[in-house]
Amino acid sequence: MSTQESDGGTARVIPNWESCIDCGACEVACQRTWDLPPESDRIQVVALEHGTENETNKPMQCYNCSEAPCIDVCPTNALRFRNDGTVRVAADECIGCHYCGVGCPFGAPQYPDAEVPEAEESSPMGAKSDGLMDKCTTCEPRQEQGLEPACSSECPTDALLFGTPDELSEKLQEDGVSTPFNEEAAGIVFGDDADEVMGD
Amino acid sequence: MPVEVTFELPYTEWGWKVGFYVAMIGIASGAYLMGYIADILSQKRNEPSHGQVAQYGYLAGILGMAIGPPVLLSHLATPFRALMLPMTMTNLGSWMALGTYLIAGFVLGAFLMFGWTAFGTERPHRRAVAADGGTDHGTARAATGDSTANGIRGVASRVGLLDLLDTLADKTRPSETVRLGIGAVFGVLAAGVLVYSAMAYGSGPTERVALWDPTFLLPVKILGGLAAGLTVAVGFAAIANRPVGRTIQNYSLAASGLLVATLVAVLAAITLLPEQLPAAEPAVENLLSTHATLFVGGAVVGGLVVPILLSVGAVVGQRRGALSPAAATGAYVAAAALVVVGKVALALAYLMAAEFAPLPLPM
Repeated sequence: MSTQESDGGTARVIPNWESCIDCGACEVACQRTWDLPPESDRIQVVALEHGTENETNKPMQCYNCSEAPCIDVCPTNALRFRNDGTVRVAADECIGCHYCGVGCPFGAPQYPDAEVPEAEESSPMGAKSDGLMDKCTTCEPRQEQGLEPACSSECPTDALLFGTPDELSEKLQEDGVSTPFNEEAAGIVFGDDADEVMGD
Repeated sequence: MPVEVTFELPYTEWGWKVGFYVAMIGIASGAYLMGYIADILSQKRNEPSHGQVAQYGYLAGILGMAIGPPVLLSHLATPFRALMLPMTMTNLGSWMALGTYLIAGFVLGAFLMFGWTAFGTERPHRRAVAADGGTDHGTARAATGDSTANGIRGVASRVGLLDLLDTLADKTRPSETVRLGIGAVFGVLAAGVLVYSAMAYGSGPTERVALWDPTFLLPVKILGGLAAGLTVAVGFAAIANRPVGRTIQNYSLAASGLLVATLVAVLAAITLLPEQLPAAEPAVENLLSTHATLFVGGAVVGGLVVPILLSVGAVVGQRRGALSPAAATGAYVAAAALVVVGKVALALAYLMAAEFAPLPLPM
């Protein structure tokens, strides 16, 4: 298991959709761990192929993209990379313009009206909200205690994988599954590490 | 098996306020640019009648900026924080930050150019001083148009600000060459705002919204802004100068030409965009079906076709003596009002019909 101090690259949570049984445990774990308001979906089980007979539901959240579009479009630089390569929003700089919501390919930015606990302006763990942007923080405080993010920790089917690109690549190979990303999406999420994670 | 993830619509992120804002800044910047062209023509041809369009073009620039940006601010979660420009808008790679600075500079320019052309006893484009010579407070003042005149000077006179504004304008106005040079600098900012009125939608590295592809959106927004801006300036000038003279009529014809060009750009976008970008097909279909009332009815017919007919019809009617001055003025004003409504309808339709390009994901 990686933590944010790992030097093998940025540690992320990515879904292994083939194992997901749409139980919603990841959503519950996230909201319970951080006492989030109900409308805050830092991880969200979304409908795929909605309205068709193939409709299914899978988890989506912030992947802390290496080529993060949200950072590029944020007018106030409220979104930025931390030293560990993860993306954070500074609550005291966000203006709630929703540009990141339009720029993110994965629907990660949230703008709950209610206040989000655990938000710290000086060392942002997400916005204080009231309409400001809020998103997954990869459970940074849990990682500091040597724990995995709550969602991947509590997923009953190991459908959420956590690790550096090296570790994710290993886990995916062990399970004999591919990432849920196509080439374009993998390039955005993993940057130069995309080929390593995607494999052949 | 490939699957497609479909998220919320862009409209759910931004809402009507962003569309309204984009329309207003487009009209304002277009009006300033067309007003500046009229300002140049007035000086080069020594015809003060061009100055009316210049003056009201600058005024339309101010009004558009007085309405649009506050509406956008009300969309933000922290409007007052957003106003602290140098401390907040620090990412100049973002069109929103860039556009904010462009707007801030442009607003200053529109105020200066309007104040210098509309106020002061030595203002450019003023009417000739009466033959009796008069004095600043006598006949000459009446002849040069203030308290007895229609228009913005009449309004300023009625609220008791005319003397103050005249004094301020005379004390600050530079020479004509310098004034027009300053106007050109602010014109560059206005052109930037006009481009921003398109790129506020059509930017972003992931090009997630195919309908907002800049190749097609830029001509629509730029031509639309210039056309709407000039039509509004003509509408204001028509109210202030009854009966409407030949110069303003010519500007009305020019506005019609720009409206026709905008119509062509819109039609080109909806016919060619789906061929160039298949991902845009559902959104174009939305424009022509779900949002047809707004797009076809409000933006195309109400905001372009009818104003073209009104503007051209009023000029032809006036020149053939078939239209009373009051009816002609009404037609110019109606065209201006419809163009504003149409510009807002176009921006809203482009926002409401837009869809994020589905993200194809292998399973």
